[in-house]
Amino acid sequence: MGSEGIANVLEVNQVSKLYENARGVRQIDFSMERGEIVGFLGPNGAGKTTTMRMITGYLNPTSGQILVDGLSMADHPQKARRKIGYLPETPPLYPEMTIVSYLKFVADLRDIPHREQKQRIGEAVEKLGLQGREKQIIRSLSKGYKQRVGLAQAILHKPDLLVLDEPTSGLDPKQIIEIRQLIRELGENHTVLLSTHILPEVNAICNRVLIINQGQVVLDAKPDAIAHSLEQSFEVSLEVRGPSGVVAAELEKLPGVESVRELARAGTEATDGLPVPGDEPSVSEAGAGSADAGEAHAEAAGAAAMPGGETVRLLVSAKDKTDIRDALFYRLAELRYPILEMRKEVLSLEDVFLKLTTDEPAAGPGAEGVSADSGAEAGDETEVKTGE
Amino acid sequence: MNRMLALCRKELQLYFLSPTAYVAFAFYFLVTGLFFSLDFLSSQVVDVRPMFSNLMLIYLFTVPLLTMRLISDELRQGTDELLLTSPATLWEIVFGKYLAAMTLQFLLVAGALLYPLIMSKYGTLDQPVLWLSYLALFLLGSAMMAVGLFASSLSAHQMVAGIIGFALLLALWLIDWLGQSVFLSGKDWFSKFSITARTINFQKGVLNLSDVVFYLTLIVVFLVLSVQSLERKRWK
Repeated sequence: MGSEGIANVLEVNQVSKLYENARGVRQIDFSMERGEIVGFLGPNGAGKTTTMRMITGYLNPTSGQILVDGLSMADHPQKARRKIGYLPETPPLYPEMTIVSYLKFVADLRDIPHREQKQRIGEAVEKLGLQGREKQIIRSLSKGYKQRVGLAQAILHKPDLLVLDEPTSGLDPKQIIEIRQLIRELGENHTVLLSTHILPEVNAICNRVLIINQGQVVLDAKPDAIAHSLEQSFEVSLEVRGPSGVVAAELEKLPGVESVRELARAGTEATDGLPVPGDEPSVSEAGAGSADAGEAHAEAAGAAAMPGGETVRLLVSAKDKTDIRDALFYRLAELRYPILEMRKEVLSLEDVFLKLTTDEPAAGPGAEGVSADSGAEAGDETEVKTGE
Repeated sequence: MNRMLALCRKELQLYFLSPTAYVAFAFYFLVTGLFFSLDFLSSQVVDVRPMFSNLMLIYLFTVPLLTMRLISDELRQGTDELLLTSPATLWEIVFGKYLAAMTLQFLLVAGALLYPLIMSKYGTLDQPVLWLSYLALFLLGSAMMAVGLFASSLSAHQMVAGIIGFALLLALWLIDWLGQSVFLSGKDWFSKFSITARTINFQKGVLNLSDVVFYLTLIVVFLVLSVQSLERKRWK
């Protein structure tokens, strides 16, 4: 990736911003290659906005260095700022102006030569689907369209680096999908750093994730690599038709199996009442996850209650992360207990996020879908930085 | 330079797209017109000086109205993030805005020339007194605009910025009077810093360089303060 560029588009070296109330960011350190779409992820107040404001030159860091395309933000602020397009959390719009007069102003501010302005504005308007609204007053636009004008403003001068602070916050689901699509398209020609606290967004758009918590980068990896890196064990969720106690006991005898836990049987929940793990919510935000899991569980329970004998739902953990699915299949086939469903458990980004950003083991309230025994320690295969 | 003019253009656009400028202009011309009519009808003397002190007094209320939103609105709307992350320097931003305010002020001063024009129908005006008085008004207004611009950089709330601006201007207005009542001997010294006392020479038809320098210095000081006030936000 990014072999065509000599220098990284963005380098953030040991950057800190200290506030009196001890919040802020401490020793943030990362770099971005040309063409990357990096998701900057963290709970509210983790320092995402502060970091982005330092990168764009709105705030000066207390210490550390920011290089944009090799130019120091401290030594060549004007040149460095010219290379960045920035969409703050609230799009910086003048509600009284029309879209075109606003973009004209930004074009002047961004040193776009007069003869090119018309063409550039036309391009931006077209790219963001604002045609026909050019003369509309910004105040009268919907939130989604305001966000589009904000994006148009950010890409007008063809920046090397596009910095977007929570580009989809406050939009309705349809607008969110549209804006994400736009960002994906922009990512084809730009290097993008975007912040969000919506996890599926990262899966949907980014090819790299930086998780930040309490002012520090705690994880830097590809979205799909994250879950694997943090798994401590190989777990399989099974639904089997057969007598509950017998099935569990038989499976525990298998050589590769570490433990078997019964989650539910014959339509009634097991006493520990653990919800069924998995079922990553697709568009919904993190908080909606519990509802989804609950529904999934209800469905599973319904399925289990179907006629044809007792069914049981099990969570089987393997020793040493070995794949035990073949062994499970053959053993159950031998015993003539049909497998109704078998699924390898994958940690969702939500689980990873909660593991990294909360101190307690992830089985606490709100950490649905994470079994207690897998939350104790964080794996360190990738660059997982321990707190402090 | 281009960026500064772009900012100035944008400010002028916003002035006339929002009711601020219209309200300030209406207030200014209504009140000055009223004072002028009353004065001129009662005294029936062809002289700009009696009218002049009224004009200055109205400025005390008009200028904060015109300057209060200049920077505070950007802070409130978050558009300062656009300006401060653009290639424009703080000087270009502040000066561009100041230029827009000056353009409005020029309209106010030019509009007030209507009154001497009416007077000249009824007698001969003392030309040096007339033009120097108007120069004094323009310089005074320019200095007041700089003060108002600085006040606007202190708060994200227009009204707060307006009140701070008004308070600062009132202090500069009354400084000789305050000095006189607090320190009996310091009257001369304090009156050197009064923005109103400095107009007296002009009104006599005397162009004193030190008076011009005084106003220019005041402008520079408050523009520098505005830049510093914005610069400070980068370090917050």
